[in-house]
Amino acid sequence: MTTSTARERADLVPSARRVDEFVAEAPRHSMMTDAVEIVRELWQYRELLQQLTRRDIKIRYKQAVMGFGWAIFMPAMVVLAGLVVKYVMAQFSGRPLEMQSIASVVVKSLPWAFFVGAIGFATSSMIGNKNLVAKIYFPREVFPLSSTLAQTFDSSIGAAALVLALPFLGVRLSVELLWVPLLLALLFLFTVAMGLLLSCGNLFFRDVKYLVSVFLTFGIFFTPVFFEPEVLGTLGSQLIMLNPLAPIFEGIRLSVVEQHNLLIPLSGTSAAGASVTIWNPWYLVYSGILATVGLVVSSLLFHRLEFLYAEYI
Amino acid sequence: MSEVAIEVNGIWKKFHKGELHDSLRDLIPQVTRRILGRGPKRGELDEGDFWALEDVSFSVDRGEAMGIIGANGAGKSTMLKVLTRILRPNRGNFRVYGSVSALIEVSAGFHPDLTGRENIYLNGAIIGMKKREIDRKLEEIIDFSGIESFVDTPVKRYSSGMQARLGFSVMAHMEPEVLLVDEVLSVGDVAFRAKCVERMLNLIESGVCVVFVSHRLEEVKRLCDRCLVLEAGGVRFDGEVEPACNEYLESLRSQTTRHEDAARRGFRSDAGRLVGLTLLDENGRRCSETRSHSPVTLAVSYELSRELSKVGMVVGFHRADGSRITNCDTILDGQALPGTIGKHTVNLRINGLPFGAGDYLVSLRLFDLEADKTIDQHDRRYPLPVDGAGDGRHAIDLDHAWSYGASGAALEAKIGESG
Repeated sequence: MTTSTARERADLVPSARRVDEFVAEAPRHSMMTDAVEIVRELWQYRELLQQLTRRDIKIRYKQAVMGFGWAIFMPAMVVLAGLVVKYVMAQFSGRPLEMQSIASVVVKSLPWAFFVGAIGFATSSMIGNKNLVAKIYFPREVFPLSSTLAQTFDSSIGAAALVLALPFLGVRLSVELLWVPLLLALLFLFTVAMGLLLSCGNLFFRDVKYLVSVFLTFGIFFTPVFFEPEVLGTLGSQLIMLNPLAPIFEGIRLSVVEQHNLLIPLSGTSAAGASVTIWNPWYLVYSGILATVGLVVSSLLFHRLEFLYAEYI
Repeated sequence: MSEVAIEVNGIWKKFHKGELHDSLRDLIPQVTRRILGRGPKRGELDEGDFWALEDVSFSVDRGEAMGIIGANGAGKSTMLKVLTRILRPNRGNFRVYGSVSALIEVSAGFHPDLTGRENIYLNGAIIGMKKREIDRKLEEIIDFSGIESFVDTPVKRYSSGMQARLGFSVMAHMEPEVLLVDEVLSVGDVAFRAKCVERMLNLIESGVCVVFVSHRLEEVKRLCDRCLVLEAGGVRFDGEVEPACNEYLESLRSQTTRHEDAARRGFRSDAGRLVGLTLLDENGRRCSETRSHSPVTLAVSYELSRELSKVGMVVGFHRADGSRITNCDTILDGQALPGTIGKHTVNLRINGLPFGAGDYLVSLRLFDLEADKTIDQHDRRYPLPVDGAGDGRHAIDLDHAWSYGASGAALEAKIGESG
């Protein structure tokens, strides 16, 4: 009897319903359909992304006395380390430590701290949510994404403090500051791309986590954060620019501290007297292409391997 | 007229025994073989693989509740994970009409450092609820969980029962069209469980299609109109709940017999064997079923091939789902069984069987107490159908009577008879 009433009521429900069909051997999707699917699913689950980001922000400093003070403390430590490096370099070259080079370290330290934090959290994001990955379906992209977004929030606190400090370091307002949003957007895209790739890699091979921590620890030697590329000489400065982060960081420094228009190449002389390319607009194009292509490739890869996650985690 | 909600056509799912890739040493040759096209095709078994699901097909209508039962490892949870899109089948396809929600592990999405309230929002989002929807139902959810005063306490300070209750409360307030449930009703205390079953019945009645995986036959019988019995990845039975449950018990029994045969060859004593069990009514006649509260005798025969000084026996009583109710034990009762060579029959008389109506199972176990070994064991092999009191859901039916006040007078009015 119960069943028949249930049926009758069921029939009252309008039948314009969603139909989902799943087949084992899915026909090979074109990259475009996959990309559309990724965006559609993320949009559908945007509230989940929002909730997970909030969770990641909240739990970061729960039960910590300093609370959000940590969001300033961590980049501050990077800045301090950079200042020591700058001071030593100044001692060796016999030139006094200028305000401008302090400002350079400061503006590049924060993006670096962002990158390190976001990649660290994103890499372990799926393993850390094992029981969700293995039990409930939703686009798994939300894990590395929410980690990156939480770190973005965190770094914004540091950035706010930085903006207050910059005038005291001799930074003036200029039109060139408009480059900064573009550069930060590139940094964000590149970080998301790496986060997707590494979290997916770490799910299959836990080695990735160790590799990442080694790279993040020593990466500061291969990224111009504490130093400017020109100290490496003609060849060295060009080589280090192959690091996709280098043009972004140098772009930030040149536009904020030197008020340089990034469309114009800039060259200088090294300590040895040789001519060194400090900036070339193509650097920015190179980083931009790497970030976009990286994002497309890593999100497609992430998406196409998604069906294996629950089995392999 | 009915509308199809889930349609499953020939699903196959392959699993690998042991680690997936033990090391790069295994992975690299495997991948190269696959690239060269020499490896097994995707729909076939490689070394160490097995089918967790083998050609499973079924369909479920709207407003229908289908149970999936089967022994451990029969493929129940795998089937559910395929339906929730967590696992992708190797062959076959399925269609789901309408929005799907899965009740898989109620507290999976909880974060221990967040408060109950924060976790409600988080878990709600995980199972696909909109924030507005949660805002609207927040009071109701908290109310349902019965943990009002702890809602702003971090979940890590909750007892596991409280966590489960909160988790289920969130899930119970979804409004899906298709609901997949994996053994989550076993949370909380009896009262809470009753509330959960109630809620599920409401959902079913409102036209939701429910697929329900469980070990508890009682719950399946209560909730479902139809039942699928899985055995070793394949469908053994698809149809009415009652016969399905019997089929399941039958498959369990044949399985345990197989296990026993294997075990008997091993460490068992070879001093003899159990022969069988006969039910006798109060007049000493053979019978096939008994009634609540009536006397019954279980006549157990065994055979010994060696003379033993101390023989003991345990007769176990189980519910149809295999859970143990009670034992009668000669050792505890201080009784000695005959240990001479030959066949013996021992009678166990039960003065008034306190079981409610239903199907029960009897286990026998014979011991050589001197050598401290089991001689023979028939685990849940003998059916004991009981007719009479109760609605079939309660194992124990107490011999009881109601009365009124200090005088102990009988209650006057009877339901259905009063004015």
